[in-house]
Amino acid sequence: MSGILDQNCCFFEIAQKRNLLFYHKGYFSHSIVAAMSEVVKLQLEVAGLSTSTRRRIFSSFIELSQNIVHYSCDALAEDQGQGGAIREGAMCISAEGERHLMVCVNPVATAAVGALREKLEPLRNMSIEEIKQAYKMSLRADTPPDSKGAGLGFLTMARDASAPLEFAFHPREGDTDTTLFCLKTII
Amino acid sequence: MENLFIAATATSPEIDFHFDENVLSLRGESYPENAAAFYAPIIERLNVWLNACENVAITVEVTLTYFNSSSTKMLFSVFDALDRAASSGNRVQVNWYRDEEDETILEFGEELQTDFTAIKFNDCPVAT
Repeated sequence: MSGILDQNCCFFEIAQKRNLLFYHKGYFSHSIVAAMSEVVKLQLEVAGLSTSTRRRIFSSFIELSQNIVHYSCDALAEDQGQGGAIREGAMCISAEGERHLMVCVNPVATAAVGALREKLEPLRNMSIEEIKQAYKMSLRADTPPDSKGAGLGFLTMARDASAPLEFAFHPREGDTDTTLFCLKTII
Repeated sequence: MENLFIAATATSPEIDFHFDENVLSLRGESYPENAAAFYAPIIERLNVWLNACENVAITVEVTLTYFNSSSTKMLFSVFDALDRAASSGNRVQVNWYRDEEDETILEFGEELQTDFTAIKFNDCPVAT
């Protein structure tokens, strides 16, 4: 018994110290996201946060995890799924004082890095008023052809965040075709 | 025309369109796997019905507690269809129910009012 505890207590200790609200690494599909939504909603309710904060964390959670379902390039083979997409990634929600950190990691095609950077970089220098303005324009614009959603996802996250979105790309060892995409939002 | 009813799921709203009573309701949360695939057939049915409406008083009851970005875009199309019907001789009243503390839903409601001026928009904040 003590062996089990020794091996795992380090992980639990870190989780507690970092005020971990939610963590999942592995496959993301629509039904997995729906199930995780239940967990996240309950956690936020128990944490006693204001309606507005809960709303913004939940909204960002959905946008981030649906990004993994739709855009991660680590997909389970088609025939294993029930028709829907199943892709791999990781999602972490933790509390730091009054703030909530949400970090999401998933592999993307290295060829897509430039386009992602072009979408995200301008958002970092925009004021909240400019973000809301861009959001309104995007709401009325036609959906970009490469988008499965509305192209509104990043703007929605930027609107709900209380600091500029942070992002990074990490090369993967032994696989130059894919790159790890890391996206962080603070609520 | 036959009424349209789609039961709610954890990630998609209840659609209850009583065409025979001119009352259309949307209730619940909206973050389906593919918002375009969920809403396209609904908008199609709505358009067929609206095209046949003349001088009709239409009531739309909206109680959506959350919608993701791609649903937001599709909802915009729903209201666009309603606005066109209101501009061509029908009266459309939208009752927009929302948590009184939910600014995001309030702001989206305001966006709809900016663009779709033929709709009579009734903001209904609900205390929780």
